[in-house]
Amino acid sequence: MSAIAPEPASGRRASPRSFSLSSAPLELRMLALATVIAVALSLLSPYFLKTANLLNLLDQSVVVGIVSIGMTFVILTGGIDLSVGSVVGLTGVILGLALHHLPIPVAVALGTLSGAGIGLFSGLLIGYFDLAAFVITLGVMAIARSLAYIFSGQTSISDIPPELNDLVYTTVFGVQTNVLTLLVLNAVAWSYLTFTKGGRTIYAVGSNREAARTAGLDVLFYSVVPYVVSGALSAIAATLMSAQILSIDPLAGTGLELDAIAAVVIGGASLYGGRGTIIGTLIGVFIMVMIRNGLNLLGVSPFWQGSAIGGIIIAAVLAERLLSSRTRR
Amino acid sequence: MTDLATPLLEASAISKSFAQTRALVGANLSLRPGVTHALLGANGAGKSTLSRVISGHVRRDAGQIVYRGEPLDARSPREALDAGIAMVMQETSLAPDLSVLENIFLPDLGRPGRLSRPTMRRRANEILADLGQEHALPLDAEARDLSAAQRQLVEIAKALALKANLIIFDEPTASLSPSEVERLFDVIARLESAQCSVVFVSHRLEEVFAISDEITVMREGRTVAASRPTSSLNQTELVRLMVGRDLGSIYAAPSAPVDARGEPIMSVRALQAPPLVRDISFDLHRGEILGLGGLVGAGRSETVETLFGLRPRTGGEVRYEGRPFAPRTPAEAIRAGVGFVAEDRRRQSIVPDLSVRENLLLGHLGAHRGFGLGYAKLERKIGKLMTRLELPLDRLAEPNLLNFSGGMQQKIIIARWLLLEPKVLILDEPTKGVDIGTRASIYAILRDIAATGTAILIISSEFEELLGLADRVIVISDGASIADVPSAYLDEEKLTLLAAPRASMERYRRLLQELANQCDGAAFWAILDDERVFCLNAATANAMADPALRAGEAPRFEETPISAALHARASNFVLDPTSGLQSLLVDVRSHRGHELGSIGVVIRPDRSAPPAEAMRSAIQERFRATL
Repeated sequence: MSAIAPEPASGRRASPRSFSLSSAPLELRMLALATVIAVALSLLSPYFLKTANLLNLLDQSVVVGIVSIGMTFVILTGGIDLSVGSVVGLTGVILGLALHHLPIPVAVALGTLSGAGIGLFSGLLIGYFDLAAFVITLGVMAIARSLAYIFSGQTSISDIPPELNDLVYTTVFGVQTNVLTLLVLNAVAWSYLTFTKGGRTIYAVGSNREAARTAGLDVLFYSVVPYVVSGALSAIAATLMSAQILSIDPLAGTGLELDAIAAVVIGGASLYGGRGTIIGTLIGVFIMVMIRNGLNLLGVSPFWQGSAIGGIIIAAVLAERLLSSRTRR
Repeated sequence: MTDLATPLLEASAISKSFAQTRALVGANLSLRPGVTHALLGANGAGKSTLSRVISGHVRRDAGQIVYRGEPLDARSPREALDAGIAMVMQETSLAPDLSVLENIFLPDLGRPGRLSRPTMRRRANEILADLGQEHALPLDAEARDLSAAQRQLVEIAKALALKANLIIFDEPTASLSPSEVERLFDVIARLESAQCSVVFVSHRLEEVFAISDEITVMREGRTVAASRPTSSLNQTELVRLMVGRDLGSIYAAPSAPVDARGEPIMSVRALQAPPLVRDISFDLHRGEILGLGGLVGAGRSETVETLFGLRPRTGGEVRYEGRPFAPRTPAEAIRAGVGFVAEDRRRQSIVPDLSVRENLLLGHLGAHRGFGLGYAKLERKIGKLMTRLELPLDRLAEPNLLNFSGGMQQKIIIARWLLLEPKVLILDEPTKGVDIGTRASIYAILRDIAATGTAILIISSEFEELLGLADRVIVISDGASIADVPSAYLDEEKLTLLAAPRASMERYRRLLQELANQCDGAAFWAILDDERVFCLNAATANAMADPALRAGEAPRFEETPISAALHARASNFVLDPTSGLQSLLVDVRSHRGHELGSIGVVIRPDRSAPPAEAMRSAIQERFRATL
């Protein structure tokens, strides 16, 4: 018995993997869920599948959808951004005030830059000083809302040039520009996260920060980028919101952070980071908006909507945990 | 007396899988009361998993455990403890902010009722007295301030406070100095005489022979030899059982020592990165495999992490390809051509949410400049690399690297760096949790790439592996490099003695200095073989008596001025005809009779030698007091 041949590597593996729902891509699972909800609602309400209602659904998805893209970036790195709602309020006010003095494109750019600036502030504190994202963005949330009140003089700004309306109601191939913006931003974000060094770094940072650092990835820089993206996208959402109703309220965007986080979570992302996709988030947004819309069509009291959304969030997280405990580890 | 025939614990056909890796495949273990049992196996053989199954840290998938005649199914460490089974872990489970006393009685804190500190204190002192360690522990100190050996003692006391009658030690000596190991063995002997069964998990054969009554050997998740009496086995047989073949074959012959190597590719001088790296110097040459040897916690990992830009450096100089080199981030080191396979795969290497392919490409991504990924142009290179590493190409598409066996994971991580064609490749414990077959192929790969001119710096706590693989070993103790030795001159024993922590080495040095002063000559501590003297430490009081021995050097007898004495090994002072030096060699042993080399005393030519017999017994006595 001089030498025993090493066992083939496969000999140490347990049973082969079998195909099941749990191993299907996340987006497919979410799409299945969205389809089930859509079918159920169309059976319950004859108005649900009407073109007008479907366009309405898309229209309602714009603001939360855009904010949710930024939220996905942040959550992918294992962070959270509670300030998005207040940033929508503050950047909206900044846009409104800027429109008094500046041409529309400049004012919009200024609003977007100020959103990015707020994100940079949070991101630097979180990334470079290693502070808890929850706490920092909670602080920024309070500050931004209070500044929104102060800058606006506690009233809504309604003397807005009506041409701002064009940002929403211009149609390209029959699609409203605000919906188009949502779709284009999603496509850009998805490509960035899938095909660029920065995008993959964001995943790696959220999945295993230490390993990302050891592999030479720029962990600090890409811990900050998502907050900047989130701030800028909140400002863009604020712009579209103001453009639609031609009025800016310092209260705008209140509670939006919860909707965005919910969309991301329903879309299958892990709050620990590293897992989640833009497509999943978009489906998550549609699921939420559909449920709101469906409950309205069915005449359910708006007070019940919170319970419905909350129940779905909990069910989504629970399902993800049960599935992942079977596939991981 | 307990009946020795019936086992205290009988584990049979235990199986356990983690994801797709089968850690245990029908392992057996039978323990008798009051017997010290060694559980032996190479890294990844499943000995830790089996211990953790028995102690309730991990639940088994199949098999059964009978403990004191009844089935045992511990669902948590707590339940195992209640049954009387305790485990002393490698990384201890103490609460760092609590006092030693509170830690000893930590399990009691979870019970209802009031605790009485005076009673606890009395009980703690009793337990320590039983172990012969009355004043070894400051009961009121915070656990974080203890040394590794003291922490271990707290764990043992904790187990005894619960009246455990089976204590499992998982690699207890990995971070202990030789004298601390001696003390631990004394404690284990006392446990044994108190009818407490001990399981001693290890891969250090010498220790296993020193301490155990019975040996169970594991390999690849199976028990390959069960409860053999230690006296019936020898080292060669044990190695064959552990490895499944003769060990020599898995380390290909070391490459011819590259002596005329010219300029080093990396030279490190007085590197500092507190708290663990204090003073490290060495040269690394192209095409060589250089080992960093030392105890766990000596600062080896911290040294290489500093070189790789993972830790801030506070002092010292590093030159790389002739230029100063001070990477502040791993990215800088990687772009300069340095690769680093970190010690903890799960924590430092694997990104679980990226696919296996992307994990392989992660180093490339770190080094890559540009907006896109640059994956496409690497396809062919990946294909070649996978063939060379004997990895199936189709498994690259799998989503989770964690589902691979430890060996496959490590190969992918090594491939991650080879893809970048590094000039220097650093590997920290590259075979941790890697099966023996894969190990052999990792060794072969490392030799291969060294032969193509890559400089390899390797850390391993398995001294045998280090000596089998490295051309040269830098010995590190307490954050300082203390010796630079060709591995041909070293064996496990010499390396263990050299690597002793500074505190104990300092004591030996003081002893030698005293001896040297006493006879106004010189003294040294060395291990002798047939033609070389391997010096562990030396002190000189008078330059005329200098035997020209330095710690870590291994000159031939003829190269020293005391060659006659070294050849003779007489029990008297021997005069060297050429140098006129008179020297005496005294063999020294530990308390347990373990040979620890020789102490030599050198007297200058114009002095007369003191009586040898008195000197001999004085030295032996003082050496033992130093241990």
